Amino acid sequence: MKRILAAIVLATLAIGYAGVPVSAQENLSAAEHRRLFREGAKLWPVYCNTCHNARPGSEKAPYEWDQIMMHMRTLGNIPPDDANAILVYLKSR
Amino acid sequence: MGYGKLRGLCLFFGALWLIVPLHPASAAAPSEEQMLRRIMREVNELKADKQQDEEKIQDLEQRVGAIQNQNHQLKEANQKLQTDTTAKIATLQTKVDAPPSPEEFGGAFDRYLGTHTFTVTGAAGGQFVYNQQNAALNNLHHDSQNSFFVDWEPMILYRPTDWILFQGVISTGFGSTGTGVDLSTADFQILANKYLTVVAGLFDQPFGDWYETQSPMWVNRFVTAPLPFGVESVVPPGEIGVQLRGGMQFGALGQDFDYTVWGGNGPNYSSTVLGAAVSSPTSVASSQSSGKSIGARFRVYPLPLEKEWGRLELGASTYNGEWNNRDWLTSWGVDFNYFIDNLQTRGEWLEAYRQMPNGQTSDNRQGWYVQAGYFLGGLNVPYIPDQLNGYLQRLEPLVRYSGVNQRGVSTDDLAAATGIGLGGTQVGLVPDFGINGSPATYAPHAREVALGLDYWFAPSIVWQNEFDIELPRAGGVFVSPTGVETPAGATPNDRAFLSQFTVGF
Repeated sequence: MKRILAAIVLATLAIGYAGVPVSAQENLSAAEHRRLFREGAKLWPVYCNTCHNARPGSEKAPYEWDQIMMHMRTLGNIPPDDANAILVYLKSR
Repeated sequence: MGYGKLRGLCLFFGALWLIVPLHPASAAAPSEEQMLRRIMREVNELKADKQQDEEKIQDLEQRVGAIQNQNHQLKEANQKLQTDTTAKIATLQTKVDAPPSPEEFGGAFDRYLGTHTFTVTGAAGGQFVYNQQNAALNNLHHDSQNSFFVDWEPMILYRPTDWILFQGVISTGFGSTGTGVDLSTADFQILANKYLTVVAGLFDQPFGDWYETQSPMWVNRFVTAPLPFGVESVVPPGEIGVQLRGGMQFGALGQDFDYTVWGGNGPNYSSTVLGAAVSSPTSVASSQSSGKSIGARFRVYPLPLEKEWGRLELGASTYNGEWNNRDWLTSWGVDFNYFIDNLQTRGEWLEAYRQMPNGQTSDNRQGWYVQAGYFLGGLNVPYIPDQLNGYLQRLEPLVRYSGVNQRGVSTDDLAAATGIGLGGTQVGLVPDFGINGSPATYAPHAREVALGLDYWFAPSIVWQNEFDIELPRAGGVFVSPTGVETPAGATPNDRAFLSQFTVGF
């Protein structure tokens, strides 16, 4: 049991360590912001509706979406680039 | 002087006469030819002078032209500068006069809020349950529900940095017997990198989909939970421990894979008898657990977004752990979720095998549910007013079939959970999921058909109506606290109606 747990933890950490830092959306260029907005507009109704009705960005303040999308990214195991695009879309209302 | 000398002198003077002009006046006045030559020479000199003057004039004209051109350019530059300056001043004035853009305001507001922020989300709702039971379940209970309930489940999100989040949910319920409070979840979520998030604390069991993503009141399309996730849990609804999880795209946009592995304190049951209820990790029954648990879930989303074939999720889960000093719970399950346009379907199958102490036969359980819903958003009935069509388009008819198979049910749990003891809110036993209070749902072989009709005021504001038809199968046993088994015998059918207004905030 402990060996299995240790093996899974080590394997997952190895996968995780091979990754890159958490993406941020500070200092986006205008072109990059437009690209993420368009992608987020496509992903928002699909990813959110997988579990619940997609809620419009105007329901929450941008700083609240920062927190909610962190939680949703974790709960839905959403790929971070996709979560980032949805966040840009939601914050743009 | 001889003749020769004389002759020589004559020749000399003759030649001299020829060479020297005879009239002195002709030597001072130039000839016409000379004059002409002179004039021509002067004319040529004048021509050369003129040529030079013309060249000089041309050169000067070119210089004047260049200076004029330069002067024109300077004037234009000056004019452009004046125009630009005026425009810039006007722009600045407009900016000064205009309110800040949403981005500017957002940035300023973020700075005002600071880096540590928190938000309250969650759900609240009021329910009415009407359950007129036809008959007692093996003479254990025969009671009717006709009650109002209120649930409030605030979730607090606290974000100290962009890679750490704390979330906690407190579930409170008020029923006919009072108020219950339960800590549903409380955990830290650490976004280590793109492919790994660490979750530590008390969390919903990431087994299948229902506990983790479908249990919030406004998310669940029905008022009640499916039988294997509500009244007769097959796997524990929560766990205290650590998760490692993440998701990644493996193909085109929308083609994703995700994983969740976790370990925790292990499963808990309300007692050591056959058919005892799986209990919340925060209940006192947790003291039974002496071992640890390990679980894993993998899900794949194979359909690319661009094909517009909808969203399909296929998942598999397992959860295994020790309870009660080296007795094991082993469980596994599969699930699916598919939606396209207005149609959404989902379903899960799960099995659990629990080793029992004192040589008892193992406590095996199976559970399942399938459900479908269809938004009438595209409905347009002819010959009725548009306003009525607008109301109809907010409706979502639903159907769900769920069931559980298990050898036995603990009579203690039945008494505690049928709404008689806890007002229908199973605080601490089954957290914050709606139930209809029917004892029929606690039969060893419970079956339920649920028909639903939701009216959506907004994406997270809904009035839900549910009609449950309980069709338990015969078989199985009821188990007393001392382990005495009694055949379940007849299992009467039952009906219930539930209505709930809930808001996700």
